[in-house]
Amino acid sequence: MSYKYIVIGGSAGSFQTVTSILAALPKTFNMPIFLCLHRLKHVRSGFVEALSIKSNINVVEPSDKEVVRQRNAYLAPANYHMYFELGNYISLSTEPAVNHSRPSIDISFASAAYAYKSKLIGILLSGANGDGAYGMKQVKENGGLTIVQDPEECQVKTMTSAAIKATQIDHILTSDQIVDFLVNLKK
Amino acid sequence: MPVSPEEINLVIDAIKSYSPYDFSDYSIKSFTRRIEKALIDFRLDIDKLVTDIKENPEFVEKLVKGITVNTTELFRDPNVWQTLRYRVLNKFSSYRKINIWHAGSSTGQEVYSMLILLNEMGLLEKANVFATDINTDVLNKAKAGEYTYRFNLEYFDNFNKVIRENPFNFEDFEDIPYEKYFDIDQVKDVITVKDFLRKKPVWFKHDLVNEGNIFNTKFDLILCRNVLIYFNTDLQNHVINTFYKSLFRNGALMIGVHESIIGAIANNFNKSGLVYIKKD
Repeated sequence: MSYKYIVIGGSAGSFQTVTSILAALPKTFNMPIFLCLHRLKHVRSGFVEALSIKSNINVVEPSDKEVVRQRNAYLAPANYHMYFELGNYISLSTEPAVNHSRPSIDISFASAAYAYKSKLIGILLSGANGDGAYGMKQVKENGGLTIVQDPEECQVKTMTSAAIKATQIDHILTSDQIVDFLVNLKK
Repeated sequence: MPVSPEEINLVIDAIKSYSPYDFSDYSIKSFTRRIEKALIDFRLDIDKLVTDIKENPEFVEKLVKGITVNTTELFRDPNVWQTLRYRVLNKFSSYRKINIWHAGSSTGQEVYSMLILLNEMGLLEKANVFATDINTDVLNKAKAGEYTYRFNLEYFDNFNKVIRENPFNFEDFEDIPYEKYFDIDQVKDVITVKDFLRKKPVWFKHDLVNEGNIFNTKFDLILCRNVLIYFNTDLQNHVINTFYKSLFRNGALMIGVHESIIGAIANNFNKSGLVYIKKD
């Protein structure tokens, strides 16, 4: 097992889980984390700050063509899709919404899967639409590890259920278990 | 249907060899996605797409329109427009002429945002505004100045923030009517920009990748927002160099909020907040 990158997707009901993951990971956690989270269209600022409050890890909205560095969490900016390119950098795009979403989880997960292959862990959390199912399938097909939050625990389980239907999921975990899993990853 | 990197290269090579366009230095991921979408929209497979590119110049025009991304809105990112108002355009008030270039103007919303702002600042008369895009369909839409109403209610929130409110004094509010600049027909669900704004800019078809400054003048301000994200860093630098050469000394360049100037050419600009100023 040599995972080096983590991509997390979430929508309605995922904010709390993302916050607890960021709060639990130590400052020394050295895998980059990519966050693709749906947010209300008019909520354009303040999200980084909200996620940063309890986080030990630096949370940033990346610039286009920004090189990916360890010990950073990259939050897809509001109204941009976030892609990962070969060469370990991020590119942004304002093309139309996918699955009614921009950022789209499918776009971020599928391009991360292609760029990072078996070094990638894809984690899908609570959410109210089908975005992310195709992306999780891509993570699996490219040799990455797939984790979904237990639908029974999700505030809205549409998203995780769709992913479970779409592809093989390696672990179905509660948010506490997801936190434990990540904290123990790098021992 | 996913398209492989090899297939994407076939498409790029065909376009380059058989048309005036060149997508070699586009960001590969979003370009690939646009091609995948085009295959669905035109109901083609890759082989047929490549054949059509080689044999049918009109198809290439259609394809290019489908590939390029046209997302824009009125006063998108209000803080950008507040910066323009209080830190950029205000410095131009003593100029005899103000030359402005909107590069990649898409369907025109930012051009009209600029004209409204200039008008509120009493600078509209002095302004020469050029607006360019590679896609003639969006240029025509921009010239028409017609946008749907309900879908774009956010335009008016943005308008309030930039035009009506004063970011330095929350008690200051100027009730400038939307009808000063738009005809709003809620039944037909249409906003139409007033003629005096629509007639003001000079609209051009222009390809940033292959054409430099075609205007025979330099500029005090260039806006090119969320266009560079579709280019790789080499091409970004090429285009930024075009802008650099096209600016007057101390001229301002505004790019997207999540775009930045990377590499040696960054040394030719002073960055102040959201604005890049050409050095002496």
